[in-house]
Amino acid sequence: MSKVTVFSQSCKGFEECGLCSFVCPKHLFKSGDEINRLGYVPSAIEEQEKCIGCQNCMIYCPDFAIVVEKEADDPQLEEEDAND
Amino acid sequence: MNAIQHPLRKYIRGHVTKTTTCPGCGNGMAAQAILRAIDELGLSMDDFVFVSGIGCSAWIPSPLFAADTLHTTHGRPIAYATGVKLGLPEKHVMVVSGDGDLSAIGGNHLIHAARKNIGLTVVLMNNRIYGMTGGQTAPTTPKGLRTITSPYETLEYPFNIAEMVVAAGAPFVARWTTFQPRQITRSLKKALQRKGFSLIEVITQCPVQFGRVSKLGNAVNMLKHFKENSVPLKKARALDSGALAGKIVVGEFVDIEKAELAQECARIIRQAQEAN
Amino acid sequence: MTSQNKKIPSGTHFEMGNWACAEGAIAAGCTFAAGYPITPASEVANYLAERLPQAGGTFLQTEDEIAAVCAAIGASWAGKKAMTVTSGPGISLMQENIGFAVATETPLVIVDVQRLGPSTGVPSIGMAGDMVQVARGSHGDYQIIALCAQSPQEMFDLTVRAFNLAERFRVPVFLMADGFIGHMREQVVIPSEKAISLVDRKITQKGKNPMERQDFLDAEVAPMPVFGRGLASHVTSSCHDIHGMRNLSDPEVMHSYIMTPIQKIKKHRDEIVQVESDCAGKKVALVTYGTVARAARAAARMATDQGLSVGTFRMLTCWPLPDQEIRQLAQEVDAMLVLENNAGQMFPYLKAEAADKCRVEFLGPQTLGQIHEPEYVLARLKEMMK
Repeated sequence: MSKVTVFSQSCKGFEECGLCSFVCPKHLFKSGDEINRLGYVPSAIEEQEKCIGCQNCMIYCPDFAIVVEKEADDPQLEEEDAND
Repeated sequence: MNAIQHPLRKYIRGHVTKTTTCPGCGNGMAAQAILRAIDELGLSMDDFVFVSGIGCSAWIPSPLFAADTLHTTHGRPIAYATGVKLGLPEKHVMVVSGDGDLSAIGGNHLIHAARKNIGLTVVLMNNRIYGMTGGQTAPTTPKGLRTITSPYETLEYPFNIAEMVVAAGAPFVARWTTFQPRQITRSLKKALQRKGFSLIEVITQCPVQFGRVSKLGNAVNMLKHFKENSVPLKKARALDSGALAGKIVVGEFVDIEKAELAQECARIIRQAQEAN
Repeated sequence: MTSQNKKIPSGTHFEMGNWACAEGAIAAGCTFAAGYPITPASEVANYLAERLPQAGGTFLQTEDEIAAVCAAIGASWAGKKAMTVTSGPGISLMQENIGFAVATETPLVIVDVQRLGPSTGVPSIGMAGDMVQVARGSHGDYQIIALCAQSPQEMFDLTVRAFNLAERFRVPVFLMADGFIGHMREQVVIPSEKAISLVDRKITQKGKNPMERQDFLDAEVAPMPVFGRGLASHVTSSCHDIHGMRNLSDPEVMHSYIMTPIQKIKKHRDEIVQVESDCAGKKVALVTYGTVARAARAAARMATDQGLSVGTFRMLTCWPLPDQEIRQLAQEVDAMLVLENNAGQMFPYLKAEAADKCRVEFLGPQTLGQIHEPEYVLARLKEMMK
């Protein structure tokens, strides 16, 4: 099980940015409900239990707005990227 | 309020509470990749001096990073950083700046620093446009695109920065896009463990200016574009230039050892003092 | 850590000014110099290239003058006493980054061995071509210090003073010389190392967070947050506050960003300004600086021999302008004749200070490209004093 925290006040928008949603292999991100203090409607994640702890969202977020805390026994995801 | 902190928060100045970038900008992705490299190597911010020029990506270290930071004039961070490195040879001196800053006005300093092999780590954020000033043509803008200073079309050919810096003599050169942040971190860790001049060219998205000019529109489309058009170096070397049109060749272009300038200067000091 | 055994060549020498300047830098504790070859300054760099490593320092020849001044500023922030050396065309190239050094309060010495301009001009002919350029050549409002040497001896002495002032005031200091004294050989007496007193910059001792320190914008000179000591300093030439943090929206900060570094110099001008005057009781003062002072003294001697009441007033600092001293002089003499080896660069500033109290006139050389013949000056003095 992983725990995903979105710092909603730091997020620059599910629509305007949306990179977390783009890189999540389980498509867990949705639009949030409220406008944050920066003027954006942030990303949000509901089905925490489906998170596999790949940490893509945390690594790709341009605003340091997501933290993924992995449990020790989470499977490692293959890197979703161009291989070399 | 939960007490969870981003694992890289400790590397960011305490009074800085938000980034200054547009939504979806690649700068923050590179900022994470840089700090993750420092974290994974077990280094301290006290081991670093960051030097940046003028442009959006120069705001990656300034004011975000909790470390000695020198924010210089346009095009000159590599020249300033050379003096910093020669004065503090034991520190990691990292330059973070953009393609306009480092390959246009600063192009001469870039190739000479590579030639001299001064031990700098240069992260060159290449968004292929002048973002901060409103979308003017850069030496990296693809031919044919319309920008605010090429309103008919861009007539000039773009630089291949990584290959140019290889030709100038740099011993470590890599290129990745922001779609490959883990690789950016990996190459940066290698660069930080080498003594000589290192260049990491990061092809990055400017959704506001380049997004408009290229009609890719937003960050997600631009990352998709990077994903679909990145070609690993090994594969690229087997293709002809026609097949590579519009592609982004990624990988580590060169990784060799050669005598680094600050260490050579120290050797000369020892030599000169012994001779007396 | 390399030791700094400077091996100062104490004693009496017969040497060229450019050599004396290089030795002055080393005696002052310079451990970093960057430069690009340019006539008539090149010898300073040539000597530094050989001598600096002996003294534990580094000389870097850069790809151009812009890289040279930038590297020197970077080295200064790394804690080194740093300098660059060039001539007029190089100063022109360096202007933007001279502004950077001013705005970030960076100790820096810039040696300008001036030559005949404008533009490429004549590389090996001395001229006072950059007197205004060093003070006003970068954009914006600011103050620098400029010292004017008249001899190879002063190219040693004033280079030492330049480093001391740079360290004291965290400001770029120009050592103004020219191709004549740079290439001239004359007696140079170098004291023992013990007899040369040096000033070192104050470095902040206060903790790891710039938000809890004042690193900039103190008219009494803030301690410098040198790199490499865990101070997490933030140095930018953007408008910034006392912590060095960028601030582009608060007009109070903008005002202080401009005016505090100016006040820093103006408040302490008594410590900086140096003049030499023998005009007490004289009717006419020959006001000069640099190489031309030699012609002025010769002319004053000839004039005195012929019964004319003439003295010389030499500015060892041209910037900040010795305004109080000039105003005082204007009250005591009937006329000033400003002698400069150019078409009149300091003249308008001097005239502005003095013209309400006495006559102020300008005399350049009869032929630019040569300095004033004393007889030519004497002829003008006679005309003035009719």
